[in-house]
Amino acid sequence: MIHQAEYLSPSGRQLLDRRGFLTSSASALSSIALASLLGREGLLASGLQIDPARPYAPRAPHFAPKAKNVLVIFCAGAVSQLETWDYKPELIKQDGKPLAGGPAVTFQGPAGNLARPQYGFRPQGETGKMVSDMIPHLAGLTDDIAFVHSLTSKSNTHGPAENFLSTGFVQDGFPSMGGWVSYALGSENQDLPAFVSIPDPRGVPQASVNNWGPGFLPAEFQGTTFSASKPLRHLAPPNGIGDAEDRAARSLLQRMNARHLEGHPGDGKLAARIASYELAARMQLSVPEIGDLSTEPAHVLKSYGADDPGNATKAGFAKNCILARRLIESGVRFVQLFNGAYASGGKLNWDGHNDLKNQYDVHAEILDQPSAALIRDLRDRGLLEETLVVWCTEFGRMPMFQKGSRGRDHNPDGFTCWMTGAGIKPGVSHGVTDDLGREAVQDIHPLYDFNATILHLLGLDHERLTFYHNGIERRLTNVEGHVIKEVLA
Amino acid sequence: MHRHLVTNAISICLAVAGSTAAAAPVDFVRDVRPIFEANCYDCHGAEKQKSGLRLDVREAAFEGGEYHRPNIVPKDADSSKLLHFVRGDDEEIRMPPKGARLSAAEIATLSDWINQGADWPEGADRVRLEDRRDHWSFKPLAVHDETASIDEFIGGKLAAVGLKMSPPADRRTWLRRVYLDLIGLPPRPEEVTAFLGDDSDRAYEKVVEDLLASPRYGERWAQHWLDVVRYADTHGFEVNTPRPNAWPYRDYVIEAFNSDTPFDQFIREQLAGDQLGKDPATGFLVTAARLLPGQIGKDAPSMRLARQDELGEIVINTSEAFLGLSVGCARCHNHKFDAISAKDYYAMQAFFSGVSYGDRRIDSPEAEAQRRELEAFQDRLREIDRSVAGFVPLAGSGVSRPSVSARLNVERFAPVKARKVRFTINKTNLYEPCLDELEVFDTSGKNVALASLGTVPTASGSNVEANRHQLEFVNDGEFGNSRSWMCSTGEGWVMLEFSSEFTIDRIVWGRDRQGEFSDRLATDYLIEIADGSGNWQRVADSTDRIKGDPKAPEASTAFAPEHQQEGEALLAEKRRIEARVAGLEAVQMVFGGAFGKPEPTHLLNRGDAEQPKEEVAPAVLSALGDLALPIDAQEHERRLALADWIADSENPLTARVAVNRIWQGHFGIGLVETANDFGRVGAPPSHPRLLDWLAAEFIRSGWSVKHLHRLILLSQTYRQAADIVPEAQAKDADVRLLWRFPSRRLEAEPLRDSILAVSGQLNLEAGGPGFDLFKSRGGLNGFPPVEAFTGAGLRRMVYAHKIRMEPDAVFGAFDCPDAGQSVSRRRQSTTPTQALNLFNSRFVIDRSRALAERVEESEGEDIIAQIRSVYQLAYGRDPQPTELADAASVVREFGIATLSRAIFNSNEFLFIP
Repeated sequence: MIHQAEYLSPSGRQLLDRRGFLTSSASALSSIALASLLGREGLLASGLQIDPARPYAPRAPHFAPKAKNVLVIFCAGAVSQLETWDYKPELIKQDGKPLAGGPAVTFQGPAGNLARPQYGFRPQGETGKMVSDMIPHLAGLTDDIAFVHSLTSKSNTHGPAENFLSTGFVQDGFPSMGGWVSYALGSENQDLPAFVSIPDPRGVPQASVNNWGPGFLPAEFQGTTFSASKPLRHLAPPNGIGDAEDRAARSLLQRMNARHLEGHPGDGKLAARIASYELAARMQLSVPEIGDLSTEPAHVLKSYGADDPGNATKAGFAKNCILARRLIESGVRFVQLFNGAYASGGKLNWDGHNDLKNQYDVHAEILDQPSAALIRDLRDRGLLEETLVVWCTEFGRMPMFQKGSRGRDHNPDGFTCWMTGAGIKPGVSHGVTDDLGREAVQDIHPLYDFNATILHLLGLDHERLTFYHNGIERRLTNVEGHVIKEVLA
Repeated sequence: MHRHLVTNAISICLAVAGSTAAAAPVDFVRDVRPIFEANCYDCHGAEKQKSGLRLDVREAAFEGGEYHRPNIVPKDADSSKLLHFVRGDDEEIRMPPKGARLSAAEIATLSDWINQGADWPEGADRVRLEDRRDHWSFKPLAVHDETASIDEFIGGKLAAVGLKMSPPADRRTWLRRVYLDLIGLPPRPEEVTAFLGDDSDRAYEKVVEDLLASPRYGERWAQHWLDVVRYADTHGFEVNTPRPNAWPYRDYVIEAFNSDTPFDQFIREQLAGDQLGKDPATGFLVTAARLLPGQIGKDAPSMRLARQDELGEIVINTSEAFLGLSVGCARCHNHKFDAISAKDYYAMQAFFSGVSYGDRRIDSPEAEAQRRELEAFQDRLREIDRSVAGFVPLAGSGVSRPSVSARLNVERFAPVKARKVRFTINKTNLYEPCLDELEVFDTSGKNVALASLGTVPTASGSNVEANRHQLEFVNDGEFGNSRSWMCSTGEGWVMLEFSSEFTIDRIVWGRDRQGEFSDRLATDYLIEIADGSGNWQRVADSTDRIKGDPKAPEASTAFAPEHQQEGEALLAEKRRIEARVAGLEAVQMVFGGAFGKPEPTHLLNRGDAEQPKEEVAPAVLSALGDLALPIDAQEHERRLALADWIADSENPLTARVAVNRIWQGHFGIGLVETANDFGRVGAPPSHPRLLDWLAAEFIRSGWSVKHLHRLILLSQTYRQAADIVPEAQAKDADVRLLWRFPSRRLEAEPLRDSILAVSGQLNLEAGGPGFDLFKSRGGLNGFPPVEAFTGAGLRRMVYAHKIRMEPDAVFGAFDCPDAGQSVSRRRQSTTPTQALNLFNSRFVIDRSRALAERVEESEGEDIIAQIRSVYQLAYGRDPQPTELADAASVVREFGIATLSRAIFNSNEFLFIP
């Protein structure tokens, strides 16, 4: 009997202890006496039992799920809702005027005048929803998408706001959504990590590892980062070690550990470490295989834009999109695909403070065709039946330009993210910002609600998915969160 | 409100109204409670108590919620908040908030009931409130029995469930255990031999004493504390820039363990070390991640929120680390489970309201001497600069001047009176112009351009990128691209206006004095000055500069030939002094907080800095004490008072929390398994009497941590074998009752250190700035890991420059804390990533080769001797014949490094046995 009690909250351990005791019938009675002796009665039940030899074994959700896995397209730097999904004709009318009653100072400094959307908008699909010309390929998917236009964030600074989007807390050090999901549900594929994060070819986003960190969850549930151009570290020994030598070392280690275990019979921790080397060996085969795009036919590469000779960044991102599809196809539970990197004056991500239009021309070209092709490809392969696709960004942007610049400042008070795929009602636009897009005014949803909805689609109750840490049963949604029912199919 | 629901078993007693007054008598049970039930109890009943209000219990209903009280004032409906809410006096907080309002009749009933005296009869409550202060860890320690021992407590509890301690581990196992536990390194072969050969009574004791006296001990045990306080050498969040003066605190903690600083003093020093001659200790206050000024919004609410976050982290650190209580939960609302109110939180915050995050000078006689030395050096540097500048050709003198350099350019001219200086750029080598600093020197050599002297910059236009390019960076005294001004257009100007007229003779400017960037360099420019009357004149321009490589280093080729030798000599001296100055500057500061006049502290409604309520004075948690300070108490008095209260032997939590951490360090799990949480959600102690006994013994010994180590390490409990006993395993799989020694995997740091030690490469240099685990410290390059470690990179891992949130590429996967949130106990995960890192990383491969070389050197060609030596060094034992034969077959073919690699990955190597 292996107990990996350290994964569990005290309450979870209580539950587990009970289960362990009762299966061990000979000692059932004295065990109950022991539990009371330790004074551990009466704790709430919440923890999960993780088999250390198979940490990614599939685990049952709280209720029947609509989606089995998740693909998150994470646009770092704060995409302007006004140049993309949230059409504001009034802003065109008021172009160049000051915002009456608006803030004199925003995140970076003095506010300038209202500025019209920098792209044209046109109706799309059967819903006729107005979407920006900046992203023609994604706009073509509008009929399948459920938009939430009225999201709010707790921070107007990128790092804390990315933390908030990914972990539900603005502080550093809380578990990421992918960590929570892989902890709760394990994975369908035991030869690959349960949670993969694919950084943008241009670099990592501002909150970096926080977006895929395990926080205080067990380390198994950290996102594993690799991309089409950057392979997983330590998959192979450094140069100079031949295959035969490598095999010999591995098999010697296996024999040494086996002999050691014989001398320590019944020690589950030792057995778990042996098992982890076996999983590692399988990953050494399966990870390079999944990342090998040479088997993808030319028409697929072309549809994603992965063959674009004139735009290496776009081609790189497109390859990451193909990798994301392959991971989803292989049953990886949670895939996080980044578009945009770190702070760079808006050059490498969506942080358009100074020269928004020119920078967005560049970023949209990289994002649009590849990510639209990814969603279509998932759909054509039938994967959207079980896969939830989430498009998100940490906050939105102001309807004014900043004083003396041609860009928009941070705006956490009303911005757009969307979902499509498994469990999503297609063609929905939920929530409203005011006529100028300054702040959410109807069906206002803090990001807690968005995250609660993602968990809900996976069959998880965000109030029940908890993990004890420093005095509190922690949740992805802190003490907040309401499922946004309007986007559910 | 320190009450909590426990039972609903109390019967209802109907009270009968006996009088017939003018208004019909209102009966609580018949008339009032049904209104509450229908409208209020969903949010203010037994299940939920929004805003801390519950209306189903008399005392609580009268008292009111966190922010609005009293709720019910008998005979005075108009003063009762209850009526304000249901009538909707304030539209913002009408109750109930959704759905139908109360009818006029219902409101009248409530009003009449209150005006008639609000009779809520005894016994009408369906539940009884429990006193949340009635909690084991809030009670005094049990009476101390000096004759008791650890083994009695452990043995007694085992016997009670029909178990017993395991027999002692063999001596070799115990020795390895105590080495890895206490110093985080395996015993050397000669140390094993010596102990096995020592059959004196004091053999075990001697080992413990030797290890406790070793400086390696503090390096190992400080890490446990650094985990709790989430120590890191960076600021965290998105830029995660270095916090270069954090390490004196890390060294302080190591030294405190090594010198067995009494723990009560350790507490006082960390809260108020500035008052106790221990400046580095206050690093404790500001270990958290923080937003730098450039990352905080310029709007006032953003700044207030950031300040609240900073203060919140100090409260969290103090309460979790010392008291084992999550006071941070009460920032937005009364603690859901513990007797900690929102007011308690802000009263505790008030102790720290004069603390801000930042560097502070370490004051000591040595530091004073260093400061004087530093000042002398700085004077000399100014002299050198002035002399060297004199060797540079005058601008516009007809002598051609060296080409512009991206690093540094000097413009020298005849002394002239100036109120303004304007630097106009007509052309660059690439892109919009950028200046990292514009310095203007008066004839005494003082830089009068500095903003700190009142000089104000303006520009034709600026490309702003927070924390990187801002106009005010042009004269902030800081160099490099990330503190620079960038023009918004390809040509433009920047102007400095001084606070008064100065006589100047030199202007120094650069694109990037740190030498990383050489684009955006002004190649066609002119410099003009205006005197106090506003008359402009040109003092320098680029027309007499020759064309050349912008990456050329500063000045060295710029001297007139007759000054070349002297100039070079001065520059060499300058470089020597600068190296010294860097060292002097680094050691005399600690990131230990700056202390100023306390700001007023307000209770904040729902933790929202935009909703301040009444002002709060410093006070300790009301459930635990009544120490309160006046609202105008001095800053240092506040921290000293709090420190004294926490470090008091009468405080029921402090010693218990501390001894539990020590116990956990030895056994992997504490007597209370939730080491940061001694509140009601935390686990109760497995051995409450032992916990109290240890706490009392700790206090009796003068809060000596080493005394605790001795008690534990020399106990039979600690000496037990680790073998699994199936019958005991069935009853107590988690080994909480300690029927065996709970073996466990080494943590990241002792694992790395042990691999280095066995390979013979461990560098024992102690203290000082951290070595790098990454090739760059953030910025545009991110954190690419160092692959091949040498020199300082082979020091103990506690001396690494710890990047918050960024795990070490190899050992981070071994549950190494990220310094985001406090880690009260390390997890023991087992992951495939760990296996890949340990099996394939360059670090381990390099150490395997080093170990191979080590034994090849000591044992020569003899493969069997080599194998024996590897086993001795790594495991402290000889190989068994089968092991020897197995290893030899591999070593013959692939060499001893292959065995070493397997050893460094093996369970026997990784586990504390």
